[in-house]
Amino acid sequence: MQPIIRVVDVWKEYSKDGQNGSAALRGANLEIAAGEVVAIYGKSGSGKTTLLNLLAGLDRPTNGRVEVEGQDLESLGEEGRTHLRRERLGFVFQFFNLLPTLTAFENVFLSLELTGKPNPVAAHRALQAVGLEGKEGRFPHELSGGEQQRVAIARALVKEPAIILADEPTGNLDTRTGDQVLDLLASHCRRFGTTLIVATHSPLTCQFTDRVLRMMDGLVTEEKTAPEKLS
Amino acid sequence: MRTVTKAFLRYLPRRRSLSLLQLLGIACGVAAAVGMAYSARASLSSFAQAVEFLKGRATHSMERPAGPMEESFLPQLMRDPAVEAFSPVIDRRLRLKDGEVVRFLGVDPFLDQAFRPEITRAQLSARTFPNPAKALPFLLEERSILVDAHLAQQLGLTPGDHLMTSRGDLRIVGTFPNPSGEPLVLMDIANAQKLFELPRQFDRVDLILAEDAAFRSRWAVGFRLQSSLQRRASLSDMLQAFRLNLQALSLLALFVGVFLIYNTAMFAVVSRRKDAGILRSLGAKRGEILLAFLAELLLLGALGGVLGGLLGFFLSHFLTTLMADTISNLYFFLRPTPLDWSWWVLLISVLLGCGASLLGGIFPLLELVRVDPVQALQGRTGSRRARVSAIKAAIAGLGIMALSLALLALPSAHVYVGFASAFGLLIGASLISGITLILFGPFLQRGFHRLHGLPGKMAAGNIRQNLGRTAVGVAAFMVALAMAIGLGTMIGSFRQSLVWWMETQLQADLYVGKILEFEVPESFYEELRSLSGIGGVDPYRNVQIEYQQTPIYVSAVDAAVLQKYTHFGWLKGGNENWEPVKKGAVIVSESFSRRFGVHAGDRITLGGIHGSAQLAVAAVFYDYTSEHGVVMMDRATYLKIFGDRTINSLGIFVDARDPLRQQILEEVQRKAQDRGLPVLTRHQLWGNILAVFDSTFAVTRSMRVLAILAAFFGIAGALLTLFMERQREFGIYRALGFSARQVAGMTLMEGLGMGLVSLLLSTGLGTALAFLLIRVINLRSFNWTIFYFPSWDPYLLAVVTAILASLGAAAYPIWKVYRTYPQIQIREE
Repeated sequence: MQPIIRVVDVWKEYSKDGQNGSAALRGANLEIAAGEVVAIYGKSGSGKTTLLNLLAGLDRPTNGRVEVEGQDLESLGEEGRTHLRRERLGFVFQFFNLLPTLTAFENVFLSLELTGKPNPVAAHRALQAVGLEGKEGRFPHELSGGEQQRVAIARALVKEPAIILADEPTGNLDTRTGDQVLDLLASHCRRFGTTLIVATHSPLTCQFTDRVLRMMDGLVTEEKTAPEKLS
Repeated sequence: MRTVTKAFLRYLPRRRSLSLLQLLGIACGVAAAVGMAYSARASLSSFAQAVEFLKGRATHSMERPAGPMEESFLPQLMRDPAVEAFSPVIDRRLRLKDGEVVRFLGVDPFLDQAFRPEITRAQLSARTFPNPAKALPFLLEERSILVDAHLAQQLGLTPGDHLMTSRGDLRIVGTFPNPSGEPLVLMDIANAQKLFELPRQFDRVDLILAEDAAFRSRWAVGFRLQSSLQRRASLSDMLQAFRLNLQALSLLALFVGVFLIYNTAMFAVVSRRKDAGILRSLGAKRGEILLAFLAELLLLGALGGVLGGLLGFFLSHFLTTLMADTISNLYFFLRPTPLDWSWWVLLISVLLGCGASLLGGIFPLLELVRVDPVQALQGRTGSRRARVSAIKAAIAGLGIMALSLALLALPSAHVYVGFASAFGLLIGASLISGITLILFGPFLQRGFHRLHGLPGKMAAGNIRQNLGRTAVGVAAFMVALAMAIGLGTMIGSFRQSLVWWMETQLQADLYVGKILEFEVPESFYEELRSLSGIGGVDPYRNVQIEYQQTPIYVSAVDAAVLQKYTHFGWLKGGNENWEPVKKGAVIVSESFSRRFGVHAGDRITLGGIHGSAQLAVAAVFYDYTSEHGVVMMDRATYLKIFGDRTINSLGIFVDARDPLRQQILEEVQRKAQDRGLPVLTRHQLWGNILAVFDSTFAVTRSMRVLAILAAFFGIAGALLTLFMERQREFGIYRALGFSARQVAGMTLMEGLGMGLVSLLLSTGLGTALAFLLIRVINLRSFNWTIFYFPSWDPYLLAVVTAILASLGAAAYPIWKVYRTYPQIQIREE
């Protein structure tokens, strides 16, 4: 079966003042099947976020090919990539990235509005599913970190995407809250067959996933060590 | 995309202080443009109404080329087959005791019925005079007048009261309706002739002609005939340069407003950058983000427009009064009334505000939709990118400035090119503000470090690191300060040029009479001439005539007296230029020379009482009497050409070394006062002229103040945005151990730093602007040379303004620091 995500010999270099600079990715290769829950594990600066941005079409590789659902992102063009993010991808960030002037409900509803299916009931249900019933009318600054991240997850899940990209989703949360959030994410994705890719530097996060890919020096390798033994 | 739009619009009430500042900035720009345009419209509308009302049903008016007309030709006029009706008119100004000047008309109520029936009906109607016999006092009593109803109401006068004027008390026998709004007083023409000492004379004859061409051919020699349209066009022409400069001032004010909106939009872009990144990551299209931001811009523009419209309407009342004085002092009598409120004002203001928002927001809009979502999400403001943008902007700015300067090199460029150059310079200089902040950064850092230690150093760094906000704030403030310096230097130089001109031309010890209000009897002139100890008496006459269908002025003087006692500013040569004038040649003002391309040695043709007269031009002199041009001649030449013996004023010269000098001057004063003639010393006259000058530039000064006010809001907005965007940073300061006082000091330094850079840039730009205004715009608008008199005053004023504005702009953020700093923690939103 065709993988839902395929990355082939992808390089991402950043030039400094027109000269050769650093390379965040140096010929990365990976394949992820539909419905998998995968951790991309690596230290800070190893290129995890860069990889997620490339998968989301927010950034473009210097070399190589990124395919999502069999489509080469480069050939899709900007409009195609926007459509992909709108319809098929959900994004969860480390720092939540909720729109501060919208309530919890509105932040979730925004996702549906973008897909052209503005269904308030679905938005309410999504918030309910993440345990935020009764807090729909609160603004982000009126919510705790964990609650904000739940809103962000609801925003990502509500449109029933094929893939969810989560960049250090627990990086800004305490351990207990982080575990709750990860459990929520992973269980939902497994239930609905949504592919989940979590970028993380924490071995604890890897325990929630089926598969771990290690990022080191811009390269991706399959991690054979058991998650609890990762360091 | 309602939710996206909602997300953007909610920032407005959430950041109330900033939104208010931005709103006020837009409102100031719109108010200035609306106020200026509305008051100009009021003046022109009043002008049109007054001309229409006073013209009545006249198709033509006839007058001598210069001076009053005699009654003797009236019988012949009456018999002309083309004349359907005629009415002789005395048209003068009358100063009331409270200083207000009103228009005075002397008419024959019977002949005038065909021309101004509304007025004459009022004179003779049963309503005003229930007893028709009561109409007789108006005709028979020498000092009886009719006053327009509005003026009477304004002065609290009714029929039977007396109106106190500079020509004595006049008894009001009735009122009449006056739709033009111009204060008007009527007198029977025979009584008016006595009042103004015009025996058997009047100023003009209004005519209703059956046909034009044949009549013109019969009355071609010795008369000037104008159709009503020609007269109106002629008056309108006189205002042209003035209107042009008013328009330029309005545009300048609007430019500052548009700049502020650009400022506003840039701030919004910077604070929306992250939101834009989030939205792009969620799948929002660029167009959707653009529309949401556009909605925010248009809402601010609309609200600012409404506020600006209201402010502008009130401002127009103030400006109309200023313009009325200026037009009346410099051109012709006009008393415009401010226009009534109209909802169109609001509509136009809203359109202006929104239009200016769109214009000012184009580049920020493009910036926002092109935002790199990756950088935006990571919170990187892209300082390197900002540096690159600053360099690109500087290159563009230098290009625009070079082009603007190149335009000026065109020899025959219209004054509009001068204005375009000025705007180009302002825009170009604005674009180099970013690179200036980068280049000045190290110096600011060293200086502020010395001043305020580490917080000072950090303040300088913050200015440089936040170019997106600080560069725009600096640019707006720089433009306003440069305008203040440029306009201040121009006005100061003009004033000094005027003083120099007065020192060269107005050298009499005393001036008897007052132009347009009092004439000096020729007998008094003769009496003073023969007075023992008098060095010389200059009988000055100044009258408007037409030259090549354009209004100019002719002045008659005593060439011998002026040669002896004055030192005119000649373009070439010296007082030897008077010799040919004594023999019948003329001298022309610089304005005349430039306007008509006439130089020393050329000949000009003037239409006189005996037909055309060819006159040799002996020399050209610097003059600021009128931008339309002055032709000056000896009185003997004037009398020969125009036959007009009127004397507007006498200049009295007494030798400085005469031991009886003071007594002689006192005697002249006493004699003049005995005849009821005003007397001014030389310095009093100079003072009056300078007072007129100062009031003329009151409008310009108002615009200058508005521009500075608008820019103040810009710099305040920049500082407030800097504060609001850096809450997390302040949390870090607190964690590191900075006190609230230190952080407040940092904020103050940021304000002063921006003000300092604005000031430094504005000195160069303002000086360039001054040169442009003096050497190009004034010259091409008014055809006269203003000499550049450098002065510290505008620069010192700019320094004070920069310091006060910077302190004022920093005040609110500093207050916020003290209020919120102790509670600030490092938090994510």
